[in-house]
Amino acid sequence: MYRITAKEELDVRDFFMEVEAPHVARAWKPGQFVVLLIHKKGERIPMSIYYADRETGRIGMFIRRHGKTSFDLWDNFDVGDSLYAVAGPLGTPIEVKYYGNVVFVSDAVCGQAENYATLKAMKEAGNYTISIQTFEDRAHSYPEKFLAKPVADEYYLTTEDGSRGIKGHYLDVLKELIEKDKVDIVFGGGKLGSLKKLAELTREYGIPTIVTVRQIMVDGTGMCGSCRILYDGEIKFACRDGPMFDAHKVDWDDVIRRDSRFVREQEIAKKHYLESRGVV
Amino acid sequence: MAKPKLIKERVPTPERPVEERVKSFVEVNLGYDFASALKEAERCIQCPPEYAPCIKGCPVHINIPGFLKALRENADNPDEAVKNALRVIWNDNTLPAVTGRVCPQEDQCEAPCVMGKVGDPINIGKLERFVADYARERGIDQELLKEFIAETDGKGRVAVVGAGPAGLTCALELAKMGYKVTIFEALHEAGGVLMYGIPEFRLPKDILKTELEKLEKLGVEVKTNYIVGKTVTVEELLQEYDAVFIGTGAGTPKLLNIPGILLDRIYSANEFLTRVNLMKAYLFPEYDTPIAVGKKVIVIGAGNTAMDAARSALRLGAEVTIAYRRGREDMTARVEEIGHAEEEGVKFEFFLTPVEFIGDENGKVKAVKFEKMRPLEERDRRGKRKIVGTGEYVTIEADTVIIAIGLEPNKILVEASGFKANPDGTLIVDENLMTSIPGVFAGGDAIRGEATVILAMGDGKKAAKAIDEYIKDKKANA
Ligand SMILES: Cc1cc2nc3c(=O)[nH]c(=O)nc-3n(C[C@H](O)[C@H](O)[C@H](O)COP(=O)(O)OP(=O)(O)OC[C@H]3O[C@@H](n4cnc5c(N)ncnc54)[C@H](O)[C@@H]3O)c2cc1C
Ligand SMILES: Cc1cc2nc3c(=O)[nH]c(=O)nc-3n(C[C@H](O)[C@H](O)[C@H](O)COP(=O)(O)OP(=O)(O)OC[C@H]3O[C@@H](n4cnc5c(N)ncnc54)[C@H](O)[C@@H]3O)c2cc1C
Ligand code: SF4
Ligand code: FES
Repeated sequence: MYRITAKEELDVRDFFMEVEAPHVARAWKPGQFVVLLIHKKGERIPMSIYYADRETGRIGMFIRRHGKTSFDLWDNFDVGDSLYAVAGPLGTPIEVKYYGNVVFVSDAVCGQAENYATLKAMKEAGNYTISIQTFEDRAHSYPEKFLAKPVADEYYLTTEDGSRGIKGHYLDVLKELIEKDKVDIVFGGGKLGSLKKLAELTREYGIPTIVTVRQIMVDGTGMCGSCRILYDGEIKFACRDGPMFDAHKVDWDDVIRRDSRFVREQEIAKKHYLESRGVV
Repeated sequence: MAKPKLIKERVPTPERPVEERVKSFVEVNLGYDFASALKEAERCIQCPPEYAPCIKGCPVHINIPGFLKALRENADNPDEAVKNALRVIWNDNTLPAVTGRVCPQEDQCEAPCVMGKVGDPINIGKLERFVADYARERGIDQELLKEFIAETDGKGRVAVVGAGPAGLTCALELAKMGYKVTIFEALHEAGGVLMYGIPEFRLPKDILKTELEKLEKLGVEVKTNYIVGKTVTVEELLQEYDAVFIGTGAGTPKLLNIPGILLDRIYSANEFLTRVNLMKAYLFPEYDTPIAVGKKVIVIGAGNTAMDAARSALRLGAEVTIAYRRGREDMTARVEEIGHAEEEGVKFEFFLTPVEFIGDENGKVKAVKFEKMRPLEERDRRGKRKIVGTGEYVTIEADTVIIAIGLEPNKILVEASGFKANPDGTLIVDENLMTSIPGVFAGGDAIRGEATVILAMGDGKKAAKAIDEYIKDKKANA
């Protein structure tokens, strides 16, 4: 069992959770994720890592209240309670080395966690780090202390409606930076649709771009093939061969389509859960 | 004295009626009771052990006439009879409730059985299962287990990677010898394919779990959620343990590299079975993991995996067709399971190779295009007739497809640890099952590719012996 050591609201939808998982904390590297199973009847859900502390054996995560599992986790699990399973770290770490000017862009929960985690390592490797974090609006943006600012040499926060930080999307800020010739490599995470656009943008300029390809997973170890994607004309497993891939080689339309494979079932699960809580 | 009369026919085991079983995941075969088991055991003519062909046919050489004799000798005291029989079996096989259910006995112990020459071979598999089940139900196995608990007197420490039949057997054998064993398992539950692949209607999870309880009783520690190669490396394990056994199986599904493979509702059998069995998607939404299955399912392949997927899909309410590129006689699944699938209404189509998955406007599969195949007289290495395409095509409607064309070892471990491996990912081992890394042994599907439960167990046992010698040598020379 894996004890919850901290839990805090980030915005109206996302929350932060810290869990004791020393086996993961000691081995985790940026680019890798974990799989959680909150209770015995649960689903195995992948999560990015915000930090992994070897000393305390704890890992931090940003989690969005999305559907059944994440609702359940928020509603029914508090500090002191335990999760049934935390497996990992999974996936292939990204290569942390000197690239020059490294940008990390993100516009949704799993990307926001990685933005901090990746740039922290990149800064330690001597890179000049630039972070761009996009939120929808002020109500959906995170408190200062959870932003990637401390690990960025240059930091930009944008909201799509301009209610906090710069008005616009990370794509707009990035384009400016590229035109100023400040970008050697881009890493990214978050919404799949934005990552597709990101790939189109950086391809034009020939800038290497590595992003998290989120796919629906079961085991997370390469055993089931649920997370398969088309990459450079070949089938790859996002959990084992990724989850971070060269954005220019990913077939984004297929990735986006496969992400909605279980929408109907997810709605049923959510309804079932809310009914059991007497909410609807 | 009159010659004892040979009874040619088997005592049958009852099965749940078809109408009932296609609606649930409850076990199909009901097994023997003591009286009928005894009757079946009495048909055995007790070939002398040094000759008995059944023993030779069994990959782990269970003393079959021995355990049948034990049953017969205490006919008036069933508990005692079963205890003695189980002791004989456990000498060679620690998971009889599993092997009694899933071994292809017709190709192994039962194939050469002398009684098969005059009538039906002895129903060895079902008798093995009976002994295990009866012992479990009466708690006899718990009593017997005490005889096997060994002193852990600082003999050594062994890490076992993977909790499938190979790893479990290796761990149990080493524990019996007095080693301190830790199993590292990637998933949240031990059992390997037995847990995530084979459905409840063939191997109920409760029964498997009681078999797994032996680990704790014999002092084996199981660390779940550990992915060796990621959570901890083999190198690190070698620093802490005297030897390592790799029983990571062949868990990666082969997919078809044909157009449409990414369409929705095309599953690998592993994804389908893991969702259904391990995650209990058949009880969704009470359990959280979903599965989306339509009304017309095509399963591609003809091994045990294909049968399990087909019969699971049937129980989820679909009409199921198995499409296989070869002929009926080449199907690799156990005969009993092919029979069960047919009885339950699974349809079979032979000599069809898929060439394309056709999708609808939403990206869901709606049909499979096949090329018709033709068998040749010539046979391949495995004795199967070769096949060629005919250039003729058929399209069969389907709203769900399950691909069960084979598995290969996961690359994670090989890549992380630098083992010498074959191109298909199977680890290369010497005659003692030692890999290219000294002190690291391997067995089961990880070295064989897709094989069977009993072969994996045989490897686990053999490796345990080799590990014992290796550690003794090492300590003697230290
Ligand atoms: C590599 C990776 C990293 C991730 N990191 C984070 C993170 O840091 N924070 C976060 O909130 N979410 C993250 N996710 C997504 C997270 O796994 C899903 O949000 C979660 O499974 C939702 O479960 P649910 O029951 O609450 O919602 P559901 O209603 O079941 O699903 C909502 C959405 O989540 C996705 N999803 C559902 N099930 C799975 C699954 N088994 N595997 C992957 N995606 C699924 C689908 O896009 C779905 O539309 C990550 C996913 C991947 C693949
Ligand atoms: C659906 C299906 C039905 C089958 N039916 C039959 C049958 O009826 N009869 C029969 O004899 N055989 C059958 N087989 C084959 C049989 O199950 C296998 O041959 C057998 O399970 C192999 O045992 P193993 O211990 O080598 O590996 P597995 O059973 O595959 O176990 C390997 C274990 O290692 C774990 N693992 C993998 N990588 C790592 C890692 N890096 N770190 C930690 N743990 C790891 C896995 O999670 C798994 O638990 C079937 C197979 C399938 C898929
Ligand atoms: S071969 Fe058949 S008859 Fe002979 S000992 Fe084995 S089970 Fe009995
Ligand atoms: S999640 Fe199963 S192979 Fe990637």
